[in-house]
Amino acid sequence: MDSIIEVRDLVKKFDGRAVLNGVNVGIPRGKITVIMGGSGCGKSTFLRHLIGLHQPTSGDILFEGKNIAKMDRNGMDGVRRSFGMMFQGSALFNSMTVGENVAVPLREHTPLDESTIKIIVKIKLELVGLTGFEHFYPHQISGGMKKRVALARAIALDPKIVFYDEPGAGLDPITASMIDQLILDLSRKLNMTSVVVTHEMKSAFRIADQVIMLHKGKVLEVGSAQQIQNSSNAYVRQFIEGEPEGVIPFKQTSEAYLQGLLDS
Amino acid sequence: MIRDFLGKIGNTTGFLLSGTARLGALFADVVRYFAGVLVRPRTLPRETFAYQLTTMGLESVGIISLVGASVGAVLALQAAYSLKDFGALNYTGSLVCVAMARELGPLIAAIVICGRIGARIAAELGSMQVQEEVDALTTMAIHPVRFLVLPRVMALMIMLPCLTIIADWMGMVGGYLVGRFALGINPEVYIANSIRALVLKDIYTGLMKSEIFSILIALVSCHQGLSVSGGSDAVGKATTQAVVISIVLIIVVDCLATAVIYYAL
Repeated sequence: MDSIIEVRDLVKKFDGRAVLNGVNVGIPRGKITVIMGGSGCGKSTFLRHLIGLHQPTSGDILFEGKNIAKMDRNGMDGVRRSFGMMFQGSALFNSMTVGENVAVPLREHTPLDESTIKIIVKIKLELVGLTGFEHFYPHQISGGMKKRVALARAIALDPKIVFYDEPGAGLDPITASMIDQLILDLSRKLNMTSVVVTHEMKSAFRIADQVIMLHKGKVLEVGSAQQIQNSSNAYVRQFIEGEPEGVIPFKQTSEAYLQGLLDS
Repeated sequence: MIRDFLGKIGNTTGFLLSGTARLGALFADVVRYFAGVLVRPRTLPRETFAYQLTTMGLESVGIISLVGASVGAVLALQAAYSLKDFGALNYTGSLVCVAMARELGPLIAAIVICGRIGARIAAELGSMQVQEEVDALTTMAIHPVRFLVLPRVMALMIMLPCLTIIADWMGMVGGYLVGRFALGINPEVYIANSIRALVLKDIYTGLMKSEIFSILIALVSCHQGLSVSGGSDAVGKATTQAVVISIVLIIVVDCLATAVIYYAL
């Protein structure tokens, strides 16, 4: 399978503690890859490496063959124009209207005039189902709408790959499923690669072409949604079924918790 | 005991040096992006710049006027207390005008703006850092220094000298009102003495200091805001530090600048 991103032996240590400990995985082009794992397993750290917000302690991250792990700021800025990112908290600029938020990458990276930018902003907002919301400020719209605006901003420059950090976090199930549908629609319509970090099972299995299961900073399992659902791995089973008892015990002492971190 | 004391001195020195180096690096980035703006004006985020000009300048005129006038009035009263012993009460206006233009106008405007705008910048950028807005800029290949810091530094460099002129003027008005109505000085004599005492150098050296203060306030506040990591308590800490560090630097730099101006200019 053609990988748009190839991760090789990725290690990230904070204060000597490995949060990512030798991750090897590929992100297939044009597909939706979901990165799953429990809290603290390193999935957000992994995502931040993919978009160049963290530098790895060792290892390589190849984006279309270019190693972004060793790139300088200018090189990385060039690559980032192919990226779109939707943050967990939306990360909209509160002093700007919805339209201005979506226009930011267009104003910064294209020579387009204002009238053209306005048209593109309208089109992007229409794509995420927010027609006519250009003049609203972020504090005037709901959490679900903010996520949609963040998505419209992420796809403003028609990126090759869009990253989503917990797209359904803090949303009611109906709004979360709408966001999932948007991810599916945009990936199919615009033929974009999507990388979604989540720990919500329903959402993950609804949208995923490929699932990467992370545990203690390592890739525990990679496969299609179907393969992961049928996994025989005890941790994966406990995670999918959301059981309080299993490989990860319900009651943990602080020593056991710390030992678990050290093991990773 | 001595080892602890020396250790603390070492830590503080290290902290000061690393802080100065970080501020220097931020300043170098700002200068680089400013040069970029001169070549390609489109690279300046104009909306942010215009917004900052308004909030820093227009919205501060009232408080700067009030504080300036009050300081001028107090200065006139305090000066009169000593001057009358020498039969020089009529020179109160001269003293107020020169002191406001050379020293108090720039200093008062800088300290008020530090509390009002410096705190605001640090809190705003700190919150943006916590809410991943700064990361969002980075992932859009937009450098936060160019997008967030440069417009704030430029706006404050334009607005603080303007506000200083207002503080100077209002201080002189405050002094005049006290001189005329409380001290009974002849208004024509008061104004004539003031004009005679005030020379152009008093005004431009004051404005030069104000320009330096504006860069200090903007850089320290932006640096504190962008250095926030953690939650809302870190934002509060950064805001307090921005104000405290800026005020200390303003006073130290004012002392040095005044000495340089006194001896060299």
